[in-house]
Amino acid sequence: MVKVTAEPLSIDEAYADVRRPDCGAIVLFIGTVRNHHDGKSVTKISYSAFKEMAEKEFGKIAAEAAERWKTGGVYIAHRTGALEIGDASVVIAVSSAHRAEAFEACRHAIEELKKMAPIWKEEFYETGKAWIHG
Amino acid sequence: MIKVAVQLFGPLAEQTGCSRIELSTTGSTVGDVVAALAVAAPSLRLDRSVRFAVNTDYAEPASPVREGDVVSLIPPVGGG
Repeated sequence: MVKVTAEPLSIDEAYADVRRPDCGAIVLFIGTVRNHHDGKSVTKISYSAFKEMAEKEFGKIAAEAAERWKTGGVYIAHRTGALEIGDASVVIAVSSAHRAEAFEACRHAIEELKKMAPIWKEEFYETGKAWIHG
Repeated sequence: MIKVAVQLFGPLAEQTGCSRIELSTTGSTVGDVVAALAVAAPSLRLDRSVRFAVNTDYAEPASPVREGDVVSLIPPVGGG
């Protein structure tokens, strides 16, 4: 399953989505809102997205993982809207027969998402704000 | 003359105060649409970091645009 949603992300949903009887490993990555950036204190983050295109890019990432690492399931969800410190902004779960493939595919998925998904992050500080990329 | 919609996101939407602009152009590529946009939205500042999409796929300045397409300007992304 892949999705961009304004609703809080569910770890349980990710886990249930990629569990397979033929998979002995599930790797879960959770990106969370950090309270600092470049020495500045972050108070909140707002994410916006081109939802349809972002979901299509997630689908490509999942298809590539299935082809390169023979993954069982790939789950990618990204949240939009105003998030508080500690909130999960992205959840990726990957299952595979053995752990090495799940670790590699999950790492690849988050790196590709950061490069390709049309999603924008606006960080808010005690004074001011900034668009953050990369 | 073709009619297209242009979508602006993130910092570009903030810069221009709008997220969608309807345009007519005699051109037929992404580059032509961007040139028409520069006239329609003079406050827009584009640099080489901005990527483009036609509908839901990344595209190049030379990529074709047809009547009814949605051209998106994709400033540097920050998901994750």
